[in-house]
Amino acid sequence: MNSEAAVFRGVIPESLMDPPLTVGHVSPGSLDDQVLAFPERRPPAQWYIGLAITLSALATGLGFIGYTFYTGIGAWGNNSPVFWAFDIINFVFWVGIGHAGTLISAILFLFRKRWRNAIARFAEAMTIFAVMCAVIFPLIHVGRPWLVYWLFPYPNQRALWSNFRSPLLWDVFAVNTYFAVSAMFWYLGLIPDIASMRDRTTSKFRKVLYTALSLGWRGAASHWQHFEKAYLLLAGLATGLVLSVHSVVSFDFATSVVPGWHMTIFPPYFVAGAIFAGFSMVVMVLVVVRESMQLKNLITMAHLDVMNKVILGMSCIMAYSYGMEGFTAWYSQNEYLQHGFMNIISGTYGWAGWLTITCNIFVPQLLWLKTCRTSYFWMILVAVCVTVGMWFERFVIIVISLHQDYLPSSWHIYKPTMVDFGILLGTFGLFFTLVLLFARVLPVIATSEVKAILPGAQPGHGGSHV
Amino acid sequence: MSEKTFAVLGLFESPDALMHAIPKVRDQKLGRLEAYTPYPIHGIDEALGFRRSPLGGMVMIMGVVGAVTALAFQYWISAIDYPIVTGGKPPYSWEAFVPIMFEVTVLFATFTAGLGMLLLLNRLPFFGHPVLTSRAIQGITRDRYALSIEADGMALDAAAARAALAAAGAADVEVLAEPDAVPFLTSDYVMRALGGIFAACVVAGLLMYAAIKVIPVMPPMVHMHEQPRLNPQAPSTFFRDGHGMQQPVAGTVSRGHLPIGAASQEEAALLANPLPRTAEVFAMGRKAFTNRCAVCHGALGTGVGSMTAAYGAKPANLQAQRFRDYADGQIYWVISMGKNAMPSHAADLTETQRWAVVHYVRTLQRAQNAGDQDMNAAGAR
Repeated sequence: MNSEAAVFRGVIPESLMDPPLTVGHVSPGSLDDQVLAFPERRPPAQWYIGLAITLSALATGLGFIGYTFYTGIGAWGNNSPVFWAFDIINFVFWVGIGHAGTLISAILFLFRKRWRNAIARFAEAMTIFAVMCAVIFPLIHVGRPWLVYWLFPYPNQRALWSNFRSPLLWDVFAVNTYFAVSAMFWYLGLIPDIASMRDRTTSKFRKVLYTALSLGWRGAASHWQHFEKAYLLLAGLATGLVLSVHSVVSFDFATSVVPGWHMTIFPPYFVAGAIFAGFSMVVMVLVVVRESMQLKNLITMAHLDVMNKVILGMSCIMAYSYGMEGFTAWYSQNEYLQHGFMNIISGTYGWAGWLTITCNIFVPQLLWLKTCRTSYFWMILVAVCVTVGMWFERFVIIVISLHQDYLPSSWHIYKPTMVDFGILLGTFGLFFTLVLLFARVLPVIATSEVKAILPGAQPGHGGSHV
Repeated sequence: MSEKTFAVLGLFESPDALMHAIPKVRDQKLGRLEAYTPYPIHGIDEALGFRRSPLGGMVMIMGVVGAVTALAFQYWISAIDYPIVTGGKPPYSWEAFVPIMFEVTVLFATFTAGLGMLLLLNRLPFFGHPVLTSRAIQGITRDRYALSIEADGMALDAAAARAALAAAGAADVEVLAEPDAVPFLTSDYVMRALGGIFAACVVAGLLMYAAIKVIPVMPPMVHMHEQPRLNPQAPSTFFRDGHGMQQPVAGTVSRGHLPIGAASQEEAALLANPLPRTAEVFAMGRKAFTNRCAVCHGALGTGVGSMTAAYGAKPANLQAQRFRDYADGQIYWVISMGKNAMPSHAADLTETQRWAVVHYVRTLQRAQNAGDQDMNAAGAR
């Protein structure tokens, strides 16, 4: 910050220095007035329009889910041998979206990247909402969702237990732990902010609500000491967790013998893809939030710039992973693997393979240019392409690998039905409904975290000395 | 409000002012020192003389407990209580247990860090603290920094504390009185409630286990597999020979398969075809003949069927005078019992079907050897 700037000015070139974390004059008080005032005001008309759209999408999805329950899983396009299709594609897609939030809130916290403080809250919220969207799919894919508690190992009168050697059970544990830990992390961070809202509100109802939610937080130094320790520990734990969750999701594929799935590169490949897709979603949402909520001074262009750099880096890792898939197919001299790889770049679903490669590898290369990293048009274009591309990447992995396996007599062309698309639309509706509600009900920026990094916020160094 | 002073709060405008004031006030040893700030201030723990947070150790211990719990749970289930072989792995294949061990470790550690921090160390939720109802709290959670001298066992000298804080540069000083009552919802209450629920679960679980496994009780319900019924191949004390499965009574006839009432083909000539000559019967006979007979005897019964050449035997030409002279019963006998290379069709065709085939064979014979009267009958139609 300023002190560092003072130390390093003249020693290292200006272009290598961290950009300022906020634009213009921001004080702790003005921050509260800017961020915490949103829940106290009535939302604008655009917000209601947005909510109407997302709720319509959500209702559509719920209708199709109800139709699925009424008629059965046969309403979907899945059939032998493509037993996994939209349901698992969407599950992997949404879990992946969530990973960006944990990366920003946990891993960047451990790396002491202070720019994360302004965007961590929103990204964490998106994590929780994305995981909520993701868990819908395994729940409805089991066919009899009212028996879904059978997934958990609990003592029962049938004297049966789960199979702990199945990656599907690992998934149950990983995703549930992920949701619980993300929710805990999010709520702990919210407590001091809710206390601030409690102490500034004039409405009696809000006062009671925020008092209860803040648990009587009073900002005592002895509490902050334990709070910071807990936050650090949670960040460390969540870091391991976020790497494990998508690894476990990839085990669903990698531990099978299907050609194209049985690869050791899958865990890191999936984790990188998850962060890639998640950051794109965060960029898209943050651009809208930044513009519509007048938060340009807190979520600066420098934030978007550095997030676009992460997207670019992840795109390069994806390029390596795709290349490695091709290399493995060639080097293994395994004709099934080679056939599977050729299916990605030619064959019935070849268009999906090329769409994936174009959206995930070629288009993000635009971000090498600073003009593109700091232009709404180009960054949104890239983010939309990456979101589409990453969805199709899961389509490629799942459907292409399954539709032609070892037994040519079982080969089958998979076609999704309207119900498949409707449920996918419904989860987008759920996600953005929750995002819209969150943006108006809770502080979208972690004010207590941003206050701590403002100039002059810390004694001994900072504004008062420079 | 009681008259007793709980704390004296001094408000500061900046973190630097707060940090400069702490050593000045601390030296006077008026009471326990605490600060209230909108965000964590670096170095304030040492300035106020706090000990290091024990949270790291707690999380470490509970993380290990989580790992051991997960391993023990998976081992007991997979190797002892429900050993099933999957993927050819031994029952205790610990490598497969690692992912869930990791997840449970993180789960235990996270909840220890979060709830341990809130409930055990910070004693939250607590809604009865005097600071929450002070004038200063609006600043404390916004942009003001408070230093507080709090009663520590003995009575607090409010006047001296006021003076000390003012001398240290506090912009505003507020005296907080001891609260009269403590709200019932405290961290202790939450902990007791959670502990009670946990203890109740453990007791109920142990009682249930004892009731089912240890104390011999009557079966709670009669299961369907316990009904009084003889299973195949099982012994039975009911029958004299001790077998659960018994032979059918001698002379038992299966449906649609009555024995032929004749001992030889000659005797069978006396049997009369019980079926009327109707269109339905002829249709049934034609279908059965096409299915069963035509491959050898040919569609017209001339003994030249599609199988004849490949088969090598010489099927009868049903149009021959010898067979046209057969009585209906003799044809029926051959269909039922077989003749020469021809097998019996009793198992394939019911009695009705066989008699229908007899009618159909007669039709074929008459059609292939039609006389004038047949022509007249056909022309009359």
